[in-house]
Amino acid sequence: MSALGGAAAGGEGINPTGTLVGIVILLVSIAATYALGFSIIPLIGIIIGGALVGFGVHFVPVGGAPAAMGQAPGIATGVAMLAAGAGLAGLFGGAWAFEATGDFAIAVAGGAVGGGLMMSITCMMVNATYVFAMGIPAASGKVAKDPITGDTFPEYKSQGTEGHGLPFISFFGGVIGGIVTGLGGTLIYLALLGIYETGLPVIMQAETAAIQPLAISLAGIFAIGFFLVNAVLAAYNITGTIEGPHDPKFKRVPRAIIGCAVASAFCGLISMLIVLNTGM
Amino acid sequence: MSVKMEASAGKLSENTLMIYGIVVALVGTYLTYLNAVTGIAVFSFFGGIGAIAALWWGSDTIKHLCSYGLGTGVPSAGMVAFGAGAIAMIAGTKFGLASPIVTLVLAAIIGAVIGYCANNIINMNIPVMIFSLMKLSIVGALTMLGFAAMCTGTFMFNGLVIGGMTLSMEPAEAAAGGAQTFMVTVLPEFASSLIGGAALTVIFFLGAIALQHPFNACLGPNESQDRTLMLAIEVGFLSMFVVAVMSYAFLDIISATVGVVVSLIGWVYSYKQYIALSKRDAYAWLDAKPIIEVGGNE
Amino acid sequence: MEEIVLGIGITALAGAFATVAGAAEDTESDIGSQGDPNSQVQLAPQMGYIHRIFNKAISGEPPAYGAWCAIGAGVAWALMRINFNPALAIILGSVIAVFVQGVYCTSGYLGRTASLAKFQQPVYIDIIKSLLSVTMAHAFVAIFCTVAMCHLMATALHHPFALPLLGLVWGIALGAAGSATGNPFYGKERQYQNQKFGAGVPISASGNIVRYAEAGQRSSLDNGWFTTKFAGPASGICFGLIVFLELWRTVLFEKTVAGWGAIIVGVILILIFTFIDRWIEVWGRKTYGPYTAAEEASS
Repeated sequence: MSALGGAAAGGEGINPTGTLVGIVILLVSIAATYALGFSIIPLIGIIIGGALVGFGVHFVPVGGAPAAMGQAPGIATGVAMLAAGAGLAGLFGGAWAFEATGDFAIAVAGGAVGGGLMMSITCMMVNATYVFAMGIPAASGKVAKDPITGDTFPEYKSQGTEGHGLPFISFFGGVIGGIVTGLGGTLIYLALLGIYETGLPVIMQAETAAIQPLAISLAGIFAIGFFLVNAVLAAYNITGTIEGPHDPKFKRVPRAIIGCAVASAFCGLISMLIVLNTGM
Repeated sequence: MSVKMEASAGKLSENTLMIYGIVVALVGTYLTYLNAVTGIAVFSFFGGIGAIAALWWGSDTIKHLCSYGLGTGVPSAGMVAFGAGAIAMIAGTKFGLASPIVTLVLAAIIGAVIGYCANNIINMNIPVMIFSLMKLSIVGALTMLGFAAMCTGTFMFNGLVIGGMTLSMEPAEAAAGGAQTFMVTVLPEFASSLIGGAALTVIFFLGAIALQHPFNACLGPNESQDRTLMLAIEVGFLSMFVVAVMSYAFLDIISATVGVVVSLIGWVYSYKQYIALSKRDAYAWLDAKPIIEVGGNE
Repeated sequence: MEEIVLGIGITALAGAFATVAGAAEDTESDIGSQGDPNSQVQLAPQMGYIHRIFNKAISGEPPAYGAWCAIGAGVAWALMRINFNPALAIILGSVIAVFVQGVYCTSGYLGRTASLAKFQQPVYIDIIKSLLSVTMAHAFVAIFCTVAMCHLMATALHHPFALPLLGLVWGIALGAAGSATGNPFYGKERQYQNQKFGAGVPISASGNIVRYAEAGQRSSLDNGWFTTKFAGPASGICFGLIVFLELWRTVLFEKTVAGWGAIIVGVILILIFTFIDRWIEVWGRKTYGPYTAAEEASS
């Protein structure tokens, strides 16, 4: 997806003023929710869900354009959208499980497993392509030794490249990323669904059963919107490519979590305005 | 490794584009209110015109943002714009006649918060980041509002979530004379509405792809502003065509057909113009000719 | 019991649809040259290699296919709402989505190529004429299969999401699976066929893509011919497995172990795929050996 390389101007480390202002925005959003007479539990769910999406994206090994040439390790596509593919597959599973069982824990776990399953199949097929079709073994460019299996990489790296394929640590990161983003997406969806299922019948003066499809669709559309915002913010944080949890860029994760939590808190507040009785 | 990103300095400044974009988008959306005033829905297509104006402006904004090199390509900016825009737009429609204005304000605030998160918390340090994401969120929200108004004929929440009415008859207690009476209630039907049926997701992604496409497609050293903006109008009319087809589900046949005809005429015209501009800018325009070797080593 | 038997049948059908969709999607994106490998098609003229490869600069495959499938599903939903037959509605929806896709393809090629005028890359208008119908046909297969699969999920399996939302979710997943599996094969193996087999493309070789065929000049159709031998079917298997297993674990095991059955099965499946992946990785390392010990270790 990134046909345009180019480094972003972003620096390392945490910007203290920015973070402080962000936390103030987050607290103000929570306070405003409380002041408007809503329960703050769903908003907390949205904030945690958004932070999980931002956190999970960092695990997904994405190499961008160089990965398509076997020049860099990772999956050869855009990070935000690959995470969206996994997270939305998780959302599909979570929403279905909630419909069938009505149990919050099962639905959240179902979303996590759905995302993890999607990523495990995709990562396996990536390695199958590299090994069976292209004859290239997996090698990481950022570390000399796989932290899990202990495989060494430098001698498996072909000349003039930064590594290729998905070493086991990257596969592991991909599955964890799928699980965490699926979990986060489902959490956002369930929080929003809870708000709309109770709020919409009151303001629309309709029965709960009749309003159900509307509540589900609204929560689904919003969940996708939240998901894209958080995934792109996290993608900005890693400037497009990352190898997985062993990549030095992974150290930037705290600021993405804060950023996504702040953005989610504010967007969550706005999304609750729908069930606010404006009299119009 | 990559194509150098250059934002061409065009004849139209970004602020001029912004003013035209916002004004036409708002006026177009408000013109759909003529539906409610006159009682016929043929004015719905104005919403689509407003959405195209917003996309037209947005394609220029995205150019200025992406010339900084975000590391994730142009499309992600379109996604974040519409993710934020969708939230602002649905919440904004709650405010009756003031909805388009409220949507604009809400989108600007959401965009500013997201831009602040990206710029100061995630530490991207791009000078135009906050302003650009503000503008892009407004573009996303106004585009979705315009297309939604075109599809359903209204920009108000109730019109977007109530797909139709069903009558429910329940037997009431027998009247004095022994005749059975029924209590008839009108129940709104939600699952067949634009939002209830999640058809808004189509508008969401139509807009997101249309917003990022003009600059993404015309990227390169010879990018020129008039060609990019013409492409924005072209993809706008193309998106409007899809929305017009979907509006058959909500509007009467004549009104929906007006939308289809307007969008097709606009699309054919802008597509021809775009091809002519591409022909103007291209190095050569060849049909079934071999590769011209310019000195690449074999 | 009957419900479960029906559910398994629908699951199998949806999996089959998904497999066809995945294969068609990847072949389409390779013929049209979409996604990350297209950066090399972009780069080649700047390095002095003028070529006749399609240059489809739309966004990456996941958002693009998310949009096409959402359009197909949304138009089908709208037509079904005014009482069109579902089969007809899905076909008409896919036709409109393919029309949009085709127009985007042409504007992407013209736009990017015209912007490369500085490097003397001409617009070969016959590329559009000869390849557009091929990519649109493949895209139709992919979109139709995905929308039909989503319709099955919504009506036969009673998923709570409405059809357009399902179209978007599975369209993005389709693009993600297809681009992840198919891109390296097209990008490395086909575009850089002149480089050593069994090794990544050295960064110094970037832009030197193969531009001539066995006879004459390579067209993107040759790339489709090549990638359908591995990348297309592999993407099909990938997306088919994702859809089939996701539905299968839910339909069969949802009611077992107090609702946790589907999750336990999902975790077991993830572990199975982890072992397969590890086996593939180790097999590759053992069979091909390290590069530094033997330069031509791979063959």
